Amino acid sequence: MHRALATLVCIGASIAPLGWVAAQGVLRGTVRSASGTSISGAMVGIAGSTLYTQTDGDGRYRLSAVPSGEIRLRAAAIGYSPAATVVTLAGGDSATADFTLEPSPLELTPVDVVSTKLPQFGDHPATSVAQVSPDEIDRRAVNTIDEAVDKEPGIQFLNGQINIRGSTGYVQGLNSRVLFLVDGVPMNQGDRGGINWDLVPVDHIERADILKGAGSSLYGSAALGGVVNVTTRDVPAGLHARVRLTGGIFTDPPHPVWGFRDKPGLQGGGDGMISYGTEIFGASVTGGARHSDGYREHDSQNHWQMAAKSRWQTSPKTRVDVSGAWADDRYDTPLSWCTQGECDDMGQAYQPFKVDTGGRAPWTHSRKGYLAAQARTVVSERFAWHARASWFRTDFFDQRRDTSEFGISNRFGAEVRVEAHPDSTRSVLVGGEATFSDVTSDVFQNHSQSEYSAYAEVEQPLSRLARGSARLKAGARIDFLAVDGGSLTAVVSPRLGGSFPVGSHGAAVRASVGRGFRAPSLAERFVDLVAPEFGLRVVPNPGLRPETAWSFELGGRSAPSLGIMRVDGALFWTEARDLIEPTLIVTPGGPVIQLQNVAEARIAGVDATLLAAIDRLTTSLSYTYLHTQRRVPGSANAPLAYRPGHQVKLSADYSLGRANLGADFRHASRPERIELEGFVDPRRVPMNVLDLRAQWTRGPLELRLLLANALNYVYNLVPQTLAPVRTTTLTAVWSH
Amino acid sequence: MRSGSLAWPLLLAATACGGGLQPEPICGASLIGVCGTIRFRGTIPDSTDNVFVAAYASFPLTCTELIANRQPFIPGSVSYTDSVADYSVALQPRTYAWVLAVWKKVGTLTLTPADTALLRVAGYYRNPADSTQPGVVTVPDGSAASDIDFRVEFDSLRPATDFVTCTAR
Repeated sequence: MHRALATLVCIGASIAPLGWVAAQGVLRGTVRSASGTSISGAMVGIAGSTLYTQTDGDGRYRLSAVPSGEIRLRAAAIGYSPAATVVTLAGGDSATADFTLEPSPLELTPVDVVSTKLPQFGDHPATSVAQVSPDEIDRRAVNTIDEAVDKEPGIQFLNGQINIRGSTGYVQGLNSRVLFLVDGVPMNQGDRGGINWDLVPVDHIERADILKGAGSSLYGSAALGGVVNVTTRDVPAGLHARVRLTGGIFTDPPHPVWGFRDKPGLQGGGDGMISYGTEIFGASVTGGARHSDGYREHDSQNHWQMAAKSRWQTSPKTRVDVSGAWADDRYDTPLSWCTQGECDDMGQAYQPFKVDTGGRAPWTHSRKGYLAAQARTVVSERFAWHARASWFRTDFFDQRRDTSEFGISNRFGAEVRVEAHPDSTRSVLVGGEATFSDVTSDVFQNHSQSEYSAYAEVEQPLSRLARGSARLKAGARIDFLAVDGGSLTAVVSPRLGGSFPVGSHGAAVRASVGRGFRAPSLAERFVDLVAPEFGLRVVPNPGLRPETAWSFELGGRSAPSLGIMRVDGALFWTEARDLIEPTLIVTPGGPVIQLQNVAEARIAGVDATLLAAIDRLTTSLSYTYLHTQRRVPGSANAPLAYRPGHQVKLSADYSLGRANLGADFRHASRPERIELEGFVDPRRVPMNVLDLRAQWTRGPLELRLLLANALNYVYNLVPQTLAPVRTTTLTAVWSH
Repeated sequence: MRSGSLAWPLLLAATACGGGLQPEPICGASLIGVCGTIRFRGTIPDSTDNVFVAAYASFPLTCTELIANRQPFIPGSVSYTDSVADYSVALQPRTYAWVLAVWKKVGTLTLTPADTALLRVAGYYRNPADSTQPGVVTVPDGSAASDIDFRVEFDSLRPATDFVTCTAR
């Protein structure tokens, strides 16, 4: 590792003077659509170099310290065809290059910031990547980003827990096999390892990139099944403001015998954002609140949030970003629906809209926030370094009938990485990362966990093996884990991948193999409580080992066919070891539940998406097939719990000028198996949910109408937990 | 293309309108287990936490068997505040020698013989031919044994030791 760093420093030092001693200038401009609309979040830069940036909310960009001469500048944005132009920059001067991008719904991953830690301009990632564009976030009128991510192929949310190609299952909020990043900063909870999807206000979010498959070779623990990176909006120059008001109504239960209140439930809220920026400095503040009566009994929620972001170009070569967010939730805790006798059952075997509040958590107060600072210095067009530091804090308090629980956790993180581009076709990335997590809790006790890691990744063309821009990526990361300052456990996560263009019309084949891992969360190791769902005690297991998995993927995408459709598909295969599952064990004091490394598992399947665009209509149809097998010594092989075998998603959007009509349909088959069957109500059904939406824009005003679960299909994804019913929401956004 | 555009919503509506969770009467057609009616008599004790129905494939002889062989292992609940309540319990298809209602006082079950301190026999299904004896109930494959009715006497709750020997065997 030290040799690699030394080599990079030498490369940087030797490359820096080449061309860099020549006079430098500034490139600035705008990126707009053919209709003149500014495109925010577009990537602009010189491919194969350290010189790249993103457009702000006005579609403006600024690249400083650009060497003089003839520059080939590229621009790319989700939903548009990439563009390139040649600019001649005189030393010490500035030049303007404006881009007009043509809409191209068939364009796949034109910009990618998650498959590697370097932005990719239209290159084909070696692993499947899905993206949620700013336009999609707007059109879907969502309150939190998970509601938009949920519409992507191969992804399913179970009670707020993300499953990428069946990775996580349902783990009672005690971990996640997916890593969550905000602007590249890990934000999984320090105690439970879970994800707070409402941590960042949705109005503060520019886009989301989702890596499907093991990403531990770059990102370390929790990236066993994938990575979700949320990019927040950059601060534009000038004074800007935005106000968003939303109001909605929950439909009553479809059967009178399930009725539980006299008047319909309502929800509503508001957000405000104000920002001011110059070319050198900018800052924005977002704040808001919302209330929901909930769609079932004992389900109300109050949410307050605040976020801020600033950027500072401290010199032509260095940019510093500081961001933070804080969210406060006070919500009733409807842990499970009631079965006969637990509530006014109206002669029914179960009442999905009612809960048994006796002895269960009547309410929870949850607070979470983060503070992050990042600095990037472009030493030369061939060499740059990046450093970050972050603090993420969560704090919960559960009030039950007879008792209460609390937990306060901190996650401190720091990372330094250097990127080098020996030439325009090759890149080297080397970095180190340290994370310290602690928890103070009456159910997880007082403990800490440290993680130290080093990683490297090399990307270069494979001109001898394939034509065109075939590329090979190879990397590895080593993580050292320690609990409560004890001995270190090492985990090595290598990855090898490549993308191979086929023909000249955008078709490509990709392949990758990598190892992922997930360190047990402090909660999994030390949880000690009586689980209200089962009435059984959950006891600690400090000796838990990290889960590991080898993931393989072979995928490809077609060239646009007839100019109207395109297919992207992948075969994936994961072999996992030491998976942690709740296990019933018998002790002299009676049966208890303990989390143990019990299972080996196979998750294999197919993920395919068909995109089609005809005139004003854009559609996508995706299908994911999952075959899972859980192997535990001494018991028969069985499917993994909570993994539906079939998922179908269909989206359609029809543009009418200022208006847009759309629909999203999601189907998931009934999971074959759930955990702890016999201890919970096993009722479960397939999921069939249709969302209808409409959007209308005029000047600074935008109206969005969302009819979520329009057919009021009543279903559950995990035992005794009703999924949302039909909800009608109207959102008004005013932007200045 | 237009006919295709119309077909999609119709297909989706047809898919989503069928299925889903549906109301299920306590003794519904989908139940595999036992169901019936419980009539409550007497004064509900202040320390009442719950009343549940349990079944045993063979009559338990010890407190250990009383806890370990109970089905379902994790007790459910029966509404006991009215004088009459319908109930159902999901059970594996087989023959059960003892189907009873159990009264539970406030406290946390440990699923060990120590639980007998919190539990009392409140009533049981009786043999129609000889009401002094427990009735045998057979749960058929794919359906429920219905009309398994019995009475709960809150004023004469009986400890487990009236029925079994609470010494580990």
